[in-house]
Amino acid sequence: MNPKRLLCFVFLFALLGAFSSAALAQDTTLTMLTHWGTEDQLAAQQAIIDAYMAENPDVAIELVTVDFGELRTKIITGRTAGISADVYHFYHLWLPDFVNAGVLAEPTQDALSYINENVAQGTIDAVSTSDGQTWGYPTEVNPYQLVYNKRLLAEAGYDAPPANWDELKDMAAAITQVDDTGAITQLGFGVIAGWDSGIVHPFSSLLFSNGGNFLSEDRTVAEFNSPEGIETLQLYADMVASGGTDPSISGLGDFPSGTVGMVIMAPWWRATLRAAEGIDFDTEVGVAEIPVGPSGEAPSSIAYTWLFAVDSNSPNKPAAWDFIHWMNAEHEEGVGSAIGDFLVNGLGAIPSFDHDQAAFAESMSDHYVSAFVAASAYARPEQIVAGGQEIKTLLQVEIEAVLTGMTSPEDALASVEMQANAILEEQRMMAEE
Amino acid sequence: MRRRMLWAYAFVSAPIFALLLFLLGPILFSGWVSLHRWDMLSPVNEMPWRGFSNYVFLLTKDKVFLKSLGNTFLFAIGGVGANTILGLGFALLLNSHIRGRALWRVLYFMPVITAPLALAVMFSFIFDRNFGVVNNIITALGLPRQPFLSGPQQALITLIFIAVYQFVGYYIVIFLAGLQGIPQDYYDAAQVDGAGALQEFRFITLPLLRPVMLFVVVTNTIGALQVFDLVFATTGGAPANSSMTVVLHMYNTAFKFSRMGRASAMAFILFAIIMLITLIQVRLLQDRTYQD
Repeated sequence: MNPKRLLCFVFLFALLGAFSSAALAQDTTLTMLTHWGTEDQLAAQQAIIDAYMAENPDVAIELVTVDFGELRTKIITGRTAGISADVYHFYHLWLPDFVNAGVLAEPTQDALSYINENVAQGTIDAVSTSDGQTWGYPTEVNPYQLVYNKRLLAEAGYDAPPANWDELKDMAAAITQVDDTGAITQLGFGVIAGWDSGIVHPFSSLLFSNGGNFLSEDRTVAEFNSPEGIETLQLYADMVASGGTDPSISGLGDFPSGTVGMVIMAPWWRATLRAAEGIDFDTEVGVAEIPVGPSGEAPSSIAYTWLFAVDSNSPNKPAAWDFIHWMNAEHEEGVGSAIGDFLVNGLGAIPSFDHDQAAFAESMSDHYVSAFVAASAYARPEQIVAGGQEIKTLLQVEIEAVLTGMTSPEDALASVEMQANAILEEQRMMAEE
Repeated sequence: MRRRMLWAYAFVSAPIFALLLFLLGPILFSGWVSLHRWDMLSPVNEMPWRGFSNYVFLLTKDKVFLKSLGNTFLFAIGGVGANTILGLGFALLLNSHIRGRALWRVLYFMPVITAPLALAVMFSFIFDRNFGVVNNIITALGLPRQPFLSGPQQALITLIFIAVYQFVGYYIVIFLAGLQGIPQDYYDAAQVDGAGALQEFRFITLPLLRPVMLFVVVTNTIGALQVFDLVFATTGGAPANSSMTVVLHMYNTAFKFSRMGRASAMAFILFAIIMLITLIQVRLLQDRTYQD
C-alpha cells in the first residue's frame, strides 16, 4: 500500500477512535426545572445536585428555575419548542392536563414501589390520575391555616384567634385602621386579588370549613355554587362592607410588614416570616384552625401537593428517575432525604415521605409548622381535574367582582358554575376521543 | 443582462424565503390551529378538528373575550384621541418660539425610551390606593382617595393615562416633523390676507398635516388594539376583568389554559378588526389633494 494512503487510513482511524471514546465518556446531562428561585433556595438545591454529581460523576445536572406564575407556561413552551427539561417539579393541579397530553413518563417500578412503601395513601392519590397511575415523587403537602398577628389582635382587644366567621368578621373590622385621609394603614383580614391562588386560600379553605365542596366526589361537576359557597362569598362581601378586608391591599404581601391582622396561608411561609422585619416570628406570629362557617361543623382546610416527575421526551429517563429517587430517598436511617431536609429546614413545608416526617419531626414541632402538621390530618386534598387551572381563574375573577361590589355572591357562583361544568364536560369528551 | 437578473433574483429570494418562513408560515399555521383544539403539548398531527367552533364560541359565549374587546376599543379610542390631541398641541407649542425647546423635546420623549415594564411598575406605586403619591396629592387638596388601578371603574382609565404618558412624546416628534415641513410662505400669505391664528390652523396646518395625522392615528390605533405589556405588568386584567384586553386574554387562553386553537382564533378576529379599522381610517384621512 502506498505509504501516503496508509498514513491517511491511520489518521482516519485515530480520529474515529478519538471521537468514539469521547462519546463514550460523555456525561449524561439532565435538566431540572423548579420554581424555587430565591438565593437561599438556589444554594440549597445546588448543594443537593453537587452531592449527587459527586456520587455519580457521569451525570451532569443543570438547574433551571422560574417563578411559580410562569412555571406552567415554561413547561408548555419548552416542550413545544423541543427544549423541555428532563425533570420537573410542579403543582399537582396540572397533572391531569400533562398526563392527557402525554407530557410525563411513567415512573419505574422501583420508584412506584418506594413511593407506595413510604408515602401515605392520601398523598399518593394527590399525585395520581383517576385510573390509579402514580406519576411522580410527591414532595410537599401543604394544608392552609389561619395565620395571624398576635400583637394586632391584642391591640384590638382580642386574646385568641377567631373560631367562627362571626368572630372573624368582628376581629377583622376591629383590627382595620384608616387614617384621616382614608388610607388603610392596617387591615384586618387579607384576601388575594389578581392571582388565582385566591381560590385555594382563602376561598376553598373557608368553603370547606363551612361544610361545602368544590367539585363532586367523582370530579364531574362543580359544587361550589351551593348555600355554603354563597355564604362564603357573602363573608367576603360582609368583610368588605365592614372594612375588615379590602382587595386593594395585598394581604400576603403586607402581613410580613406587620400591618395585616390575619391571612390564610401555608406552612412553607415560615422562611419568609422568620426573615420579616415587621413582625417577630417567635412572639407575634400565631397559627389557628380555619374559622368555622355558619353551615360548618368543624374546622377544615384544603391541602395541595407538588411532585417530581420526568418528561416523556427525556432521552435519559432512567437517569432522571435515579436522580429523583436519590433526592427523595433516605440513604441512612433516621437522617431523612435531601429534599425532605430542604423542604422542612429550608422552607417550613411538610414533606410527603414518612421517613422525612420522622427524621425532621423536631424541625416541624415549632409553634408555626406544628399547627399545619395537625391540620394535615384532616385537610381535604385539592381535587385535581383537567382544566382545573381555567376553572380557578374564572372563579377568581368572579370573587374579585364580589369584592369590588360588581356582582352578588349568587350571580358570581352561578356564572362560574355554568362555565366550570362546560369545561369539565369538554375535558371528559376530550379524554374519550 | 439575463445573468444579472438571475443574480438579482438570487439576492431577493433570500429575504423572501425568510419572510415566508418566519412571517407567512406562522400566520398560516396559526390559521390552521384556530380550526382545531390544541393544547400545545400534544403532537400537532393529533389536533382534533373543531371547524369554526372556536370563532363561534368567542363571538357568542366567551364573556371575557367580549368584555376584553370592549375594553380594548375604549383603550384605543381614549389613547388615540388623547395622543393625537396632546401630541399635536405640544408639537404646536414646541414649534413656536418657546424657550428651551430642545429640553422640552427631550423631556417629552424620555418616557418613550423607558422600558414599558419599568414604567408600569412605577405607575403601580404612584397610583396605589393607600400610599401612592397621586392619592396623597388628591387628599391634600381635600378630595376623596381614589382606587385607580384597583377600582373596576377606574382601572382602564388609569391605564389609558399611563399609555398616553408613555407614548405622547413619540407623537409629538412626529407632529413636529410634520409642522416643520409646512412652508412658511403659506402662513405669510394667509397673514397678508388677514387670517388669524385659528384660521391658519384650520385652513393651513390641519389640511397639510393630514398625511401625518393618518400615520399617527393608524399606527397608534394598531398599537393600542394590541396592548399587552402595560396591562400585564400593572393589573393583569384585574379587578374582575375590568381592565382585561384582547391580547392579554389571548395570552392567558394560550399559555394558562392551554387553548391555542381558541387563542389563534382570537388573533385572527383581532387581525380582521384592525384591518377593517385601518381601512376606514385610511379612507377617511387619506390626502385627496391629488385625486381631486
